[in-house]
Amino acid sequence: MTGDGGGAWRKVYDLDDLWEGDMAGVEAGPVKVVLVNVDGEVRAYKDRCPHQEWPLSDGDLDGDVLTCVNHMWEFNALTGAGINPADSSLTPIPCRVENGAICVAPPD
Amino acid sequence: MPDRPRAVVLLGGGIASVSAAETLRAEGFGGRIILVTAEDEPPYERPPLSKEVLAGSKTGADCYLRSADWYQEHDVSLEMETRITDIETADNRAIAEDGSAFPYDALLIATGGRARRLPGLQGEGVFYLRDLQDAAALREALEGLRGGRMAVLGGGFIGCEVAASARGLGAEAAIIEMLDECLQVPLGPRLGRAVSDIHRARGVELRMRERVTGLARGADGLRVETDRGTVECALLVVAAGMIPNTEVAEETPIPTEGGVRVDGDCRTIVDNVFAAGDVAAQCQPGSGEHRRVEHHDTAARQGAVAARGMLGLDNPDPVPHWFWSDQYQHTIQSQGLFDPQAPCLVRGSLSEARFTAFQLSEEGMIRAALTVDRPRDILAARKLMAAGVPVTREMVEDADLDLRRAALAGAAV
Repeated sequence: MTGDGGGAWRKVYDLDDLWEGDMAGVEAGPVKVVLVNVDGEVRAYKDRCPHQEWPLSDGDLDGDVLTCVNHMWEFNALTGAGINPADSSLTPIPCRVENGAICVAPPD
Repeated sequence: MPDRPRAVVLLGGGIASVSAAETLRAEGFGGRIILVTAEDEPPYERPPLSKEVLAGSKTGADCYLRSADWYQEHDVSLEMETRITDIETADNRAIAEDGSAFPYDALLIATGGRARRLPGLQGEGVFYLRDLQDAAALREALEGLRGGRMAVLGGGFIGCEVAASARGLGAEAAIIEMLDECLQVPLGPRLGRAVSDIHRARGVELRMRERVTGLARGADGLRVETDRGTVECALLVVAAGMIPNTEVAEETPIPTEGGVRVDGDCRTIVDNVFAAGDVAAQCQPGSGEHRRVEHHDTAARQGAVAARGMLGLDNPDPVPHWFWSDQYQHTIQSQGLFDPQAPCLVRGSLSEARFTAFQLSEEGMIRAALTVDRPRDILAARKLMAAGVPVTREMVEDADLDLRRAALAGAAV
C-alpha cells in the first residue's frame, strides 16, 4: 500500500512518544521528516525549511505555529502554510496513526 | 479621510508596500490598491542582493516578492517605472515625474533609500549595491575577476556580506573600514571583533582604522588610496550606508529630517499619510525616540501596521525588532534593539564565534539578544521577551542550560 505521493507506508514513531505540543525529527529511509502533534493532530513534513533547507526539527512548535530557528520563518503546523513569510509553505508528507504507531509515506 | 478609504496608493516597490497591500486585502479592504515603483521590476526583496544573487544561486526573478498572478488575484495595480516627485497632501494626490496624478484616500510612503555615494568614488570598477541592477552588475564583475582581487569600503552588514560572497566566488577580498572592527557600529567593538575574526579566518584582508582618501586607475586596475597606504584591486564596492528617500515628502507638512517621521502606528502628522520601511523614522516604544530601522522584518511589519491604521483597525502590540545577516556559513541574528554601547552578558564562546550576547534590564528582562550561530538562544529570548519572564546572569552564562525552561521554572517559583 502506498501514500498519495506513491511511497510506501512505514512506521517511524510511537504516538506515545510524541506528546501534544511535541515535535520530532525522524528518518523515513533517506527522507528526513519532522513530526508534529498539535492538540492530538499529527502531521508530517519534510524536515527542511523551504528557505535554506535548515532542519525544522531544530526549531520550535508553539501551539500550531512551527518556527524555523535559522531565520525565524513561521508556518502553520496543521496546514503547512507559511505565516511569515506568507508566500512559503512546508512540504507535507502523507502521515497517519495506526494502533498507536505514526506512519509516513514519503514519495519515492 | 473617509471612514474607510476607497483608494490606497503605496509608494515604493519593496516589502513594506507589498506587506501593506497583503494586509489590506486580508483585512477585507475592497477598494483600489495602486502600488507605484520607480523601478522597472515588480517589488522584490533586497536581502538576497548581497548574498544569493552575488553567489548566483538566485536570479533577479527569484527575488520577486509575489508572482504576477498574485497582483491580479489581489487586485493590486502595479505602476512600474513611475517616480513620484511630490505629494499634495491638501488635495490628496501624489504627482509623478511626468505630471500624472494619483489621487488617494490613504497613502503609504515606502520609498526606501539609496546607497550613499562618496565623492570621487565612481566610474569603471566602482560599484554600489542597492537594487537588482546593481546586484546583477556586481555579480557579473565578481565572476569576471577569476580569483582576482576586490576591495570593499565599509565593514557594515552589506560590506561584510559582499566580502563573504566574493570569497565564496574565489576572489581575494579586502575590507577597508575606518573603525576598529567589522560591524562595530551595530555590535560594538567586542562583538565586532568576533565578526572580524570570522572574515580573517576566511582569508579576507582586514584594513581597519583606515580611511579612503582617493582613487586612481592604472593599467591593471584600481589603486585605492588610503591614509595608510594603497590597496590595489580590480574592483571596489562602496558600502557606506544608505540615505532615506525622503524627498518625496519634503514639500509636505510632514517632518522628514532623518526619515519620514511617524508614530508607533506608522502614521505621519497628516492623518491619511503613513510611512513604513527604510524611509520611516518610527517612534519607538519606551524611549519615544524616532528611529529608522533598516531591517527587512521591520519593513514588513510596519507595512502591515500602516495598512491596519488606514482601515481604522487597532494594531497588536509591537514586537521587538529582529534581523539576520548571513556571512559564509554563519548566521547572525538579533532580537530587540541591541545597544552597542551597553554592557552585555556573553553565552557561549566569542573566540569560537559561536555565542549569544544578552542585554538585560535591572529586573533581568531581556532587552536584546544577538547571536552568531546559536539561533536557539534567539528563539528562547523571543519567547521570554514576549512572556515577560526574567532571567539571571547565571542562567545566561551557562551555555549548556536550557535557558527557556530554566527561566520559566525560575518564574514559577
